[in-house]
Amino acid sequence: MAAFPDDLLYTREHTWARVEDTIVTIGITDYAQENLGEIVSIELYPVDSSVKQGEPFGVIESDKASAELISPVSGDIINVNDDLYDDVGILECDHYDTGWMIAVDVRDLSELDNLLDSEEYEDFISQDVGED
Amino acid sequence: MAIDEAILRNGQVHEGVPTVRFYGWVRPSVTVGYFQDIVKEVDLGFCSAQNIDVVRRPTGGKAVYHDADVTYSVVARERDEGFSSDITETYRVISACLLKGLGKLGIEAALVEEGRKHLASTGEAFCFSVPFKNELLLKGGKVCGSAQMRSQGLFLQHGSILIDLDLNRVAQVMAGGAEMIELMRRSVTALNNHAAHPVSEGRLVSALRQAFEDEMGVSVCDGTLTASECALKDSLLAEKYTTNRWNMEGKG
Repeated sequence: MAAFPDDLLYTREHTWARVEDTIVTIGITDYAQENLGEIVSIELYPVDSSVKQGEPFGVIESDKASAELISPVSGDIINVNDDLYDDVGILECDHYDTGWMIAVDVRDLSELDNLLDSEEYEDFISQDVGED
Repeated sequence: MAIDEAILRNGQVHEGVPTVRFYGWVRPSVTVGYFQDIVKEVDLGFCSAQNIDVVRRPTGGKAVYHDADVTYSVVARERDEGFSSDITETYRVISACLLKGLGKLGIEAALVEEGRKHLASTGEAFCFSVPFKNELLLKGGKVCGSAQMRSQGLFLQHGSILIDLDLNRVAQVMAGGAEMIELMRRSVTALNNHAAHPVSEGRLVSALRQAFEDEMGVSVCDGTLTASECALKDSLLAEKYTTNRWNMEGKG
């Protein structure tokens, strides 16, 4: 069963956001990783890039498909998890902690109102897979 | 590629209908996957000398040589009828349509039950040497290679269905030698290797179109690019798909 920690916020594009003051750390959810399968490559926008809510911050490739990684917030990238370039397999075992992807200094925290909490995200997933 | 991506991007902004395309190539071409190292995987000197275009796809996967093939593409929302966010299921749905289309031509293909692992040897860069679950096999050989991309609630899946296959040519394009040719001989095939009557592009497209209708219970209506899709296509061509920055370096 997919896990969605309740201290995170989520997008409908299956990325999560961990909020600490104005810094939001971002990664992919359990659902995204299960759907993608074996991750083989990743490309993330570099530090100092700007990202916008709902728009890409990188691309990920698995043995099934490539997928654009969609940012839950707008702001400037202040940190990128370079460990993923050495070992993208981290994403398959720990996508909520050591598998974080980027950290963003957010301009407008009200954007967080557009995100889903864990229960809402789980409902969203359930609708898609046709679960009760 | 520009058209495929334009339809996808337009669908992210405007309300659109699921789109299926069947197309050919002005001249023989190679498309490479988003993350592939093109210099390592393709003989660029040979391609240049032979006037073979080389373009990087927005989708992942391996290199595909387009010559005697029909390329299909499907763009839809994950929540459009018949599709979902499940990547494997999407491959299955589309492959079922392709399978039915080949069946209309009297060609009995089958879906791959389990994908083979990537081969750590010559030929790994070539799409058709590595079948994925729910892709199409014909007499044990891969006859269709597909790749999928997901973004903002939509997907683009496109693929190449081989009508004829020149193993030597493909090996030259992929900078492979006898080992690659032998690998492909065992793992890749084309429709006309097995068809009772030669398959033409026209017959194949007609069969596939009907198959999508039958399998998905929809009507496939002729259409053209909308004005916004056209504008997007033009800008993608100019700023991406005709540039070395994208094709050679993979930088969008």
